[in-house]
Amino acid sequence: MALNVVVCLKQIPNPDLQFQVSADGKDIRRDALTYKVNGADEYALEEAVRLREKHGGRVTAITAGPRRTEQMLREAMAKGADAAVRVAFEEPAAIDAFQIANILAASIRGRPHDLILTGVQSDDYGHSATGPLLAGFLKLPHASVVTRVQLEDRRARVWRELEGGTEEVVLIPMPALLTVQFGMNQPRYAPLPAIMKASRQPIEEVKSGDLGEPTWDAFRGPYVLSVRKVSHPAAKGRAEMIAGKIVDQAKTVARLLREKGVYRG
Amino acid sequence: MTGRDILAVAEHREGRVVGATYELVAKGRDLAAATGGSMRVALLGQGVRALAAEIAALGSEILVAEHEALATYTPGGYAQALAAIVSRSEPRVVLFSHTAQGFDLAPRLAAEWNAPVVANCVDLWLENGRLVASRKILNDKLAMELEVTSERPFLVTLRPGSVKPATPASTAGAVVPVSVTVDPANNGSVFVGYEKPQVQDIDISAADIVVSAGRGIQKRENLAMVEELARVLGGVVGASRPLTDMEWLPKTRQVGQSGKTVRPKVYIACGISGAMQHVAGMRDAGLIIAVNTDPSAPIFEVAHYGVVANVLEFVPALVRELKGG
Repeated sequence: MALNVVVCLKQIPNPDLQFQVSADGKDIRRDALTYKVNGADEYALEEAVRLREKHGGRVTAITAGPRRTEQMLREAMAKGADAAVRVAFEEPAAIDAFQIANILAASIRGRPHDLILTGVQSDDYGHSATGPLLAGFLKLPHASVVTRVQLEDRRARVWRELEGGTEEVVLIPMPALLTVQFGMNQPRYAPLPAIMKASRQPIEEVKSGDLGEPTWDAFRGPYVLSVRKVSHPAAKGRAEMIAGKIVDQAKTVARLLREKGVYRG
Repeated sequence: MTGRDILAVAEHREGRVVGATYELVAKGRDLAAATGGSMRVALLGQGVRALAAEIAALGSEILVAEHEALATYTPGGYAQALAAIVSRSEPRVVLFSHTAQGFDLAPRLAAEWNAPVVANCVDLWLENGRLVASRKILNDKLAMELEVTSERPFLVTLRPGSVKPATPASTAGAVVPVSVTVDPANNGSVFVGYEKPQVQDIDISAADIVVSAGRGIQKRENLAMVEELARVLGGVVGASRPLTDMEWLPKTRQVGQSGKTVRPKVYIACGISGAMQHVAGMRDAGLIIAVNTDPSAPIFEVAHYGVVANVLEFVPALVRELKGG
C-alpha cells in the first residue's frame, strides 16, 4: 500500500521569546522576531515520515504563509518530506483559522491524500481548530489529539489522548485527517547531506489565482473578525516576586518554607 | 434566522458529567441574560437520564437526545444530532468546553455549518449582536481580545477553569427529550474502547509537597537537583509535559490537563513556563512557588511567590540554605 501523506506545518514566532505589543495595539511587534516550526507539527512531520518509511508512498509538506516559511519547508524536506508546497498567503498575523483551513482544503483537494496530519494546536494562537476545520471542508473523517496510529488495510486504528491520562481508541476509515499530540514520537534531526540536498529542491508555490480566486478573501467565512487589542495580561493575582541575588532569594524561600511549617530542618 | 438563544453542549464520559460542563452552564446563563433568550443544554448519549437530571438541577432546560449511535462521542454522530437540534431553533451562540472533545467537534461543525468558530476563550460576551472574546496567545504570555460579527451562530469553545461552575438552582430545569436520527455509517469513526495507564509508580496527587521540573532544567542529568530538593523537603518530583514526552520521567509524574491534577500543600515549579495545560493541574495547590528565568512567564500569574532566576543556580542554593539552616 503506497501511502500519500500530506502534513500541514505552521511557522510561528518562537514562543520562548518575550513579546512586545505593536504600536497599534492589535498585534505583537514583528520586526525583531525569530520564527520556528510549531511544536506539535514537528511530531506530525516525524509521524508522516515514519508512516512512509513503513508503508511506502510519499510525504508532502504544506504550509500557508509568507516567504520566510520556505526555510521551514526545506527543513521538512531535509527530515524526509518528498515534496513541499507553500501556499502564498502573506498575512503575517494570520489569525483566522477558518480562512486558513479553507485555503489549505482548496490546495490539498486535487492532490492524492490517504492521510492528512496536522499538529494538535499551534503554540501562538492555540485554537486547536485548523485540523478539524480542514477535515470538515474536505469532508474527511478526523480524530484529534492522536498519540499513536496503526494502519490496517484501508483504515487507521488511532489512540486519542483525553483529559486525565485516559486514552480513547477509535477506528477511522481512510482517507482521514489526524491531529497529532506532542510526544507522539521522537522527531529526528536532519543529517547534513539532506540539509544540503533540501536547499536545492524546488518548493511549489500556490497562489489564489491557481485555485481560481482573485484574492484570498474568497476563502473567508461568513463573518467579520477583527482584533480589538493585544495586551500583557492584567497583573491581578500576580505572584509576590522575591528579589535579590540568588543567595538572598534562596534564603527568603527557605525562610518562607520554615514559616509555613513545610520544612523543620 | 439566528435567534437569541444559547445552547451549551454537555460532555460526559464513562457515566459522569465532565466538570467543565458546569462552567459552560454558568457562562451560557450570563449570555442568555444579555440576549434575553433562553439558555439550553444539549446532552447527547444513550441511557443518560440520570446525567440529565444532574444537569437540569442547575436550573436550565436540557434537551436530551438518546440514540445507540450516540453511546460514546464521535464527531460524526454528534454532528448529526446537533444539526437536528439547531435546525429547530437556531441559537445565537453554541458553547463547547475546550477539551479533547470540544475542540475536536466545534471547528468541524464550523466548516460543516459555514459558521464562525472562536476557540479556547477565557471569556466572552455579546455587544450589540457582536461576539467579543478574550483569549490567551503565545503560550499565555499575552491576552488578545477580538470581535466577530456574523448572521450565523457563533461556535465557541471555553477554556476549562475560566469561569466559576454553576451550582444547583432552587428550581430544576425541564428535561426535554428530543428525537434525532443518527446514521452510524456517518459517525466518521468507530469507538473501540478506553485505555488507562497502568500505574506502577507513586501517586503524586497524594503528596503534600510536589517539586516539579520543566524545560528550564535543560538537561536530563539536572533532574538530580530537583530530586534532591524534593528529598530534602520530604516531597515528590512532578514534571511538566515536555519532560514526560522526552521520557525523562514517567508519564505518571506529569502534572496537567492530560496528566494528574494535584492539590498539595506546597507546589514548587522549577523552570516551568505555565502553559494552560500545566496550570490546569496545579492551580489549586495551597502554596505555589515558581522559579523561572522569564519574568513574563505565565506561571507567575498563578504562583503566590515568584523567583526570577535560573533554576540550575537557584535550586542548589535553596538546598544549601535548607540543609545549612
